[in-house]
Amino acid sequence: MNKILVIFLHNISEMSENSINKNLKTSSNGTNWWIWIAILEFVIIGFLIYKTRKRKKLQLKNDFPKEEIDFDNIIDSSFNSDKLYDELKIKCHPDRFPNNEKLNKIADELFQKISQNKNNSKTLLKLKKEAINKLNINF
Amino acid sequence: MLENSWNNILDWFNNRSKRSSLVRSFNSSAKNAFISGNAPTLLKAKISKGNNLYKHQFSNWLNTGFRIQAFAGRQLSKSELIKIGEVVLSDEILVRRLVVLGWDTLEVHVDKGGYGVRFQLKDHITLSI
Repeated sequence: MNKILVIFLHNISEMSENSINKNLKTSSNGTNWWIWIAILEFVIIGFLIYKTRKRKKLQLKNDFPKEEIDFDNIIDSSFNSDKLYDELKIKCHPDRFPNNEKLNKIADELFQKISQNKNNSKTLLKLKKEAINKLNINF
Repeated sequence: MLENSWNNILDWFNNRSKRSSLVRSFNSSAKNAFISGNAPTLLKAKISKGNNLYKHQFSNWLNTGFRIQAFAGRQLSKSELIKIGEVVLSDEILVRRLVVLGWDTLEVHVDKGGYGVRFQLKDHITLSI
């Protein structure tokens, strides 16, 4: 039984050696397919890396939408918000409407919003419009 | 362990590009405002060394200062510099982003010399518990 097994294994090893030698001969004579497969693999890997990088770049761009931080407003506010605030805090002061309770309440709310947003000229401009509409103030 | 340090390296590169894009967008807005005449002074943002005393948990190892330089052609007063700083600090989203990206100091300087004001960013995040 053991003898048969040894002979069988010997035959298999001989067969495999022959097949490897055959393959080597054909590859040296004709085209070597393994090289082409390796090149193809490299191309696929390169393509995948390129795609993931592109996706990351898009993600980065989406992370920082320009609308979220309004730098234009920040720079505008740095120089122009003081004047607007001074003007609004005088014109919209609740003490200017002592006889009309309704207007006094509106002015009080507006005044609070104005003092909260004294460094934000965009919001102050909105509040100015609100004051013109609700309190009938002429600026 | 290895994965953790790899993630740290990736985060560092990611934050670096975000930091520079933030500085660039600030500078382009400042330029546009100066050209159109909305701002009498040209502002320019830079990454500076920062102050070691203002460090927080998310601070970078180096260059933790966000410096705004004002090119006015004259010496700006302290109140004007403080005003610029206050406006930046009043934008909550911007302050949070600055902190997350590793900055801990906001500096507003004049164009020449070391004259300017300095703010600790950590003090200006409103955290609700």
